[in-house]
Amino acid sequence: MSLTTYLTRRAAQKERVRILYRRALKDTLNWAVHRHLFYDDASILRDRFEKNKHVEDVDTIDQLIADGEASYNKWRHPDPYIVPWAPGGSKFNRNPTPPQGSYTRMVIGKGIIHFERVKHKGGVGIPLILEGCL
Amino acid sequence: MALRAAVLRHLRVPIQTAPWRGGASLRSMSSHDDHITKDEVIDRVLSVVRDFPKVDPSKVTPDVHFQKDLGLDSLDNVEIVMALEEEFKLEIPDKEADKIDSTHLAIEYISNHPMAS
Repeated sequence: MSLTTYLTRRAAQKERVRILYRRALKDTLNWAVHRHLFYDDASILRDRFEKNKHVEDVDTIDQLIADGEASYNKWRHPDPYIVPWAPGGSKFNRNPTPPQGSYTRMVIGKGIIHFERVKHKGGVGIPLILEGCL
Repeated sequence: MALRAAVLRHLRVPIQTAPWRGGASLRSMSSHDDHITKDEVIDRVLSVVRDFPKVDPSKVTPDVHFQKDLGLDSLDNVEIVMALEEEFKLEIPDKEADKIDSTHLAIEYISNHPMAS
């Protein structure tokens, strides 16, 4: 194996390990019902990664990563925490932008209010505009 | 619809002008308007990094590399990024989170994120 091939393979492995650790750590937080339990679980997880820190053989490393990923997938939380605004979160799309198109404008003049339909091409649709109230 | 429009066109309602409250306070109860300034982002990012157990707080500046300058390893880097996500209530995709390796990049990413709070 040439040096370049070796280095690219090692770089790919390092990235896989970082992403696996990140996902596993988040999953640990999902499983832990209290923060103080999470700290212990996180340190156990960290030890499991540290244990294989000095493995040199590339194929063994691949095998260890594959084992780790399999273990992560097996114990993945069925209902993980999702940040509210993210897809799947409790506030996802709660206040969607209004549809584009025509809208009703409320015009407030001197002592009168009237409404008019306004054709609106493109841009942000504004459902109600207060005009002239200053 | 036509009748409604006709009625509305001739509707006359006396109004009292309420004092204008200004644009910023119009959606004061909305959770989407709590934008944070870059200075606040810098302060909070640095305090998260300083609180990390393996970091010497005196070394932390707005332009410090986690692994080269603070002597952390790649897994510590992952932990710091996760702490930052929790601090700013963010969810950073794995590939992007993997690239954040310095306070400078973290500050840039978070201050440009529309949902950071």
